[in-house]
Amino acid sequence: MKFVDEFRNAELGRSVSQQIGALVDPTHHYKIMEVCGGHTHTIYRYGVSDLLPPNVELVHGPGCPVCVIPMGRIDDAIAVARTPNVIFTCFGDMMRVPGSSGTLLEAKAEGADVRMVYSPLDALRIAKQSPDREVVFFAVGFETTAPSTALTLMRARAEGIRNFFCFCNHVTIIPPLRALLESPDLRLDGFIGPGHVCTIVGARPFEFIPAEYGKPVVISGFEPLDMLYSVYMILRQLSDGRCEVENQYTRVVPYDGNPQAFRVLSEVFELRPHFEWRGLGFISQSGLKLSDAYRDFDAELRYTVPGVRIADPKACQCGEVLKGVIKPWECKVFGTACTPEHPIGTCMVSAEGACAAYYNFGRITREREAV
Amino acid sequence: MRVVDAHADDDIATCEDAEGSRSDVLIGLVAPVAIGDLLLVHAGTALLRLHTNAGDAA
Repeated sequence: MKFVDEFRNAELGRSVSQQIGALVDPTHHYKIMEVCGGHTHTIYRYGVSDLLPPNVELVHGPGCPVCVIPMGRIDDAIAVARTPNVIFTCFGDMMRVPGSSGTLLEAKAEGADVRMVYSPLDALRIAKQSPDREVVFFAVGFETTAPSTALTLMRARAEGIRNFFCFCNHVTIIPPLRALLESPDLRLDGFIGPGHVCTIVGARPFEFIPAEYGKPVVISGFEPLDMLYSVYMILRQLSDGRCEVENQYTRVVPYDGNPQAFRVLSEVFELRPHFEWRGLGFISQSGLKLSDAYRDFDAELRYTVPGVRIADPKACQCGEVLKGVIKPWECKVFGTACTPEHPIGTCMVSAEGACAAYYNFGRITREREAV
Repeated sequence: MRVVDAHADDDIATCEDAEGSRSDVLIGLVAPVAIGDLLLVHAGTALLRLHTNAGDAA
């Protein structure tokens, strides 16, 4: 298949792996963060890290949209879902994320009308088919997903749909990266940038990382060769003494993003003053809410939500996993009390979650970092 | 996904994935599209139109 087969070529993979091996300084331990959960999935599905020298470590970042939603927002979602006459719609993995007293799936079992959808457009279709009900869409995701919600809300408004609402939890990628870079917990040599977010925002917003923090960034695609070559490009920059934003994913990512997406996003959303992230706490201007022009669709204005901040379970170390401070298998409950079948933390729920990737593909070296 | 049906007056196109499964896709970010166009689709929305002669990166 075009755009797939050529990026899974084993011979090319071995060649890039050898070039990486020839490039690294054996006395230095490299730590490179892949920001996006899709990248984490690729690394463990295809064993990308097995093709890297032992002193090149890939660290997982906060780019799984399911994983970063705090428990309090799940409780809010369940409260809305239990409201009489509401059909609550969400992506499948959100149904299994634990709140303080259960999941949306459990709420469904107890009688709430919770339905899985593949897109916000599916939710709008349900609203049109159920004019005597109120349909709420649980919107999560980064800039990749936010345009889908925005276009759907624009369509709902254009069609005069009055029974469709959005519980907005969209987030933006730059503020948490800045928070991570300010964190004393983490020493990183470079970043693998989130390819699909960059189809919307472009590569330019990442220029602050080399400019202010002296770290190279390479925007990467999601096939194994994309990722291997992105690691090579970061190591090449370090070896050359360069530090800049490079775009490996040129077949998809325009450097300046999608201007039509910017227009759509700015019409439908505005930045919240602050938003809570699992493991990272409150981060200024990192979350989106509906703009005044779309307030009639805002589920947070339509329904009473608890809005209570809930601390993660003590045993769960998702926060440290999301910051790249520990590996998933270093969490106290990984693979024992917390499994994909019975997750305690969000990172074990989503296919993009680092814990689920480790667990499902079994690539666990259990070697602690020696720096 | 590949566009199999599109109407000039609508912001939705019918698209088909590699397995032959069809679904409606919002095309507001990439419009206009034509039948046969290859789109990168995420959460029911086309993020961009792919150019099949794009250079390989690796």
